[in-house]
This record gives sequence, C-alpha cells and structure tokens, in this order.
Amino acid sequence: MSEAAFNGPGSVNGRSRWRFAVPLIWLTALLLLAVGMTTLEPLFRLFEPDLRQVIYDREHFWVLLGEHVLMVAVAALLATCVGVAAAVAVTRAAGRDFMPMVAQLASIGQTFPPVAVLALAVPVLGFGTVPLIVALLLYGLLPIVRNTLAGIQGISAEVLEAARGMGMTPRQVLLQVELPLAAPVILAGIRTSVTVNVATAALGATVGASNLGDPIISGIVNGNTAYIIQGAVMIGLLALTVDSLFEQLQPGVPGQSSGAQSGQG
Amino acid sequence: MIELFDVTRRFGDETAVDRISLRVERGEFCVLVGTSGCGKSTTLRMINRLIEHSEGEIHLDGQPIRDFPEDQLRRRIGYAIQSTGLFPHWTVARNIGLVPRLLQWSGSRIQDRVEALMALLGLPPEFAHKYPHQLSGGQAQRVGVARALAADPDILLMDEPFGALDPITRQTLQVELRDLQDRLDKTIVFVTHDMDEALALADRLVVMHEGRIVQQGSPIELLRAPADDFVASLLGGDDRGLKEAALVRVGERMQPITPKVGEAPWVSREATLNQALSLMLWHQTRHLLVVDDADAPVGRLSLDALLQKAHHE
Repeated sequence: MSEAAFNGPGSVNGRSRWRFAVPLIWLTALLLLAVGMTTLEPLFRLFEPDLRQVIYDREHFWVLLGEHVLMVAVAALLATCVGVAAAVAVTRAAGRDFMPMVAQLASIGQTFPPVAVLALAVPVLGFGTVPLIVALLLYGLLPIVRNTLAGIQGISAEVLEAARGMGMTPRQVLLQVELPLAAPVILAGIRTSVTVNVATAALGATVGASNLGDPIISGIVNGNTAYIIQGAVMIGLLALTVDSLFEQLQPGVPGQSSGAQSGQG
Repeated sequence: MIELFDVTRRFGDETAVDRISLRVERGEFCVLVGTSGCGKSTTLRMINRLIEHSEGEIHLDGQPIRDFPEDQLRRRIGYAIQSTGLFPHWTVARNIGLVPRLLQWSGSRIQDRVEALMALLGLPPEFAHKYPHQLSGGQAQRVGVARALAADPDILLMDEPFGALDPITRQTLQVELRDLQDRLDKTIVFVTHDMDEALALADRLVVMHEGRIVQQGSPIELLRAPADDFVASLLGGDDRGLKEAALVRVGERMQPITPKVGEAPWVSREATLNQALSLMLWHQTRHLLVVDDADAPVGRLSLDALLQKAHHE
C-alpha cells in the first residue's frame, strides 16, 4: 500500500492524514498501561488468586518502559551507524575485497545467541547496561548490513553510470543517489533489527540492566504469572508501536515501485 | 574540438580499442558505427573518462583531458545513454537541473534553464513535477537529452540514446536531434549500431571494427566508395543505392518549371529521393509533381533526373 501511494498525486495527501493512526493507538495503549497498571489489579488477581502481590511494584512501569526504550534506541543507533558504514565501505571500489568478510561477520553476529553474548560480555564489561547494548548491537547488525548491501547493489548500473557521467563526485553519488535510492530497503532492515531487539532487550534483566524484562524475570523466579504477563504485554505493545511507526515512515521510492513498469508506454 | 591520437584501451589481455586516431571538429556531428563489441562505446566513454585510455592521448580543444579533474571534465560534456539513466527518485525538473546544480548556478537561473530546455525538447511544462517512471520511453529520452544539454556544454556524447525506442519515436527524435544540432551547433559524438540512424544524422561517419577505425568520411563518401566488403555490407550491401537516395532531397533534383495543374501524383520538396522512387514504383509513373510546404506545386521530378549522379558536394 505504501508503494501505491506514489502512483497518483492525490494519494499522497490521503496517505499523510491517517497514516499515524495505528501507531498512535498502540502507543496510547502502551502509555495507559504504563501509568495505570495498578487499576488492573482485579484482572491479574484472576491469574494468581493466592499471592499477596499481583502487580509488579519494585519499579514504576513507566520508568521500566523508559529504560527499555532508551537501551533499544542506543543499540539501534549504534547498529545503524556501524551497519550502514560497513555496508557503504565494502560497496566502494577500495573496500570491495572485504565484502564477503563483512557479510559473514554480520551473519555470525546474528547466529550467536544474545544470551551467550551476555554471558561472555559480563566478565569483561561487568553487570549493567553496557553488556546488554553490546549484545543488542551485535544481534541487530545483520539485518541492517544485509539490507544496506542489497539496497545499494540493487541500484541500476545505468543510473550510477549517468551519475558519474554527469560529473558527480563519488561523495555526491553516495549521498544524493545511492543512499536515497537504497533508503527504503535500509529502513526495512532497521525496522527488523529494532523490532527484534525490543523483545531481546528483556534479557537485560538477567545482567542487571533494568527494563521491561524485570517483571518477567522476577515472575519466573518467584513463580508469579501475573508479573510475567505484565512485562510481556508491555514489551508486545512497545514492539507493535515501533513496528507500525516504521511502517508509516517507510518511504516509497518513485520509480522503484510497481509503477515503474506500468509507466512505460 | 575533440582529438584522439593513437588511443588504445586494453581490458586485461583484450584490446578493446586499438590505436585509433580521430578528429572531431567544432560543430561536427560525428557518428561512430559498427557491430557490437567493436569498441565504439569504449571510445565514447574514454572521452569523458568513464573509461581511462591505456595509451595515446585525447585532447579537448587542444588540451589533454587528463589535465582536468574527472568531475570538472564531465560537467563540461553532455552525456546521454540508451537507458536514459534518469534518477528515479528525482522529478523531471530536478533531473534536468542536475549539472547546473553541480556547477552551483543560482536557483532561479537553474529554473529558467530547465524551463527553456523543456520547451526546446517539446516537453509540456506540467511534466516538470513528474517522476521518470511516469514517462513513456520517448519522453524519458527527451528528458535525458535535456539533462545532457543543461549546462550548455560544447560537446555532447550520446551512447545509442534512441536504441530502446520504437521505430517511429526513434525517427522523430532523430529528426529533432538533427534540427537541434543545426540550431545549437554542438560538437556531437554519437554511437549507434543502426546504419540508417547513422546515415540520417552524421556529418562524419566513423566505421569501427574490432577496435579499429576501418573508414571515416561523409555518409555519401562512404556509400560511394566503401573501403572494403565489411564496410559495404555494414552500409547495406545492395541496398546502398536506396540508402544514398535517402540522403538527397527531392528539391535538389527537381526541375523548377511550372507544371500543368492536375498533374499527379505529387511529392513534397522535402521528401528524399528514395521516397520519390517508391512513389514512382507505386504509381507506375516516370514523373512526379513536386509541391512545397503549403502544397503549392513548385516543380517536376522525372525518373531520369532522379537517376542522375549528384553534383559533387
């Protein structure tokens, strides 16, 4: 549907008016839950009728949410910088030899379980947020590297030849042609990376990085299903918010959409 | 003026272009023609350094092209290619304004230039905000040519720009390009494998084969005296007579007498001799009435006059 938006001039307005409705709904639900979890006590009582405490109260949910978002955001920012830079570097003439190596390193980063990364990182980096961010960074790198490579390599050779032939410098070609044309694919990679890491970040609770994983881990340790549900629902809503937000931000690139074929006469 | 002195280009062990020398005068329309893989595109792309030459020298107005930084050199040379290479994420106006923007012209000057070029190439003003995928092949190629002309370069390099178009659109654009050249007086190097296109456009025809120049000269010279069998067959073999006739206008051979009214069939003064011959064959007649643009009779063309050798030009 986002591609279709570029096929007619009128649809651009239609797209902008309601495009953020869905992310807004998820965000509202998430924030309401973050501030008003206690009002749902009767509901959670159904899951654990025998326990004294059914609402996680060691920290406010909105604080946990804030921490969670911050950790994922920092990791995503780092992964995007590192991933895009690496992919750009190996698609330049000078760096082309390193392409297989970079692609493989990124794959290894994702096949290596984040739990293991955490376990290995803690002795080196200590407890807390840093090992979690390292784990998330490694785990989130692959989709970004892979999509940036695909996006840049997918640009037609004629367009690049024309860009050079017109007298653009390599830097101008990269910034004005390659990255804008690859942007939708790169953004899709970032979206995958972030959405997956919203869930993965919950592991942080095991190494002392306080976030929405805390109620879950605490629930597992204390046998409190209500805690687990509270953490899981919050994380789920956050993932939905982020994912639907990315969906709306996804630019359709004119000329690379399905309209490219139908436009030829 | 473009000069190539003993220019060679090797790719590994392959010699794509083998010691060619060529001189394209200012304002000349030079067409490089040959079968695929003959080195004509490589030759073209060496002029704007998209491909570096291995040996020899290439001069632009007497100065070696390696004296210029690549980007500066290319901004001075218009470049149009078969697939247009228009940027899909930019509007038509932005695509056309690319080189002026690289040269840091002011915004209003770029806009004026874009408007003027769109008018020159017959593109309606409302196309300015369209994206390339919304254009037909012919329209996209007009934009490609407009982009090549944008910074008013003295030199234009064109690599099979009309190769992907249908025959009718192609012919229209050929005629327009020729008109444009007559008005703008650019130095053009044009690559094609289509001999009819080459004959229709060229002041100077350069036939290439296996990386070498086999023959060069005006279309008439080559048709009259092909250097060898390869050139002769490339020029159309037994069809050469018709191809030559296609280079001469009826107006050059007609007798400017006032014909009897009602004498038919008729032919335009601007038509070519092969068209006139076709009409004679069709109507089984030895005489045609020649008319001007306003369809007023101006002369008479006989089969004998048509068959005469042209006076040397």
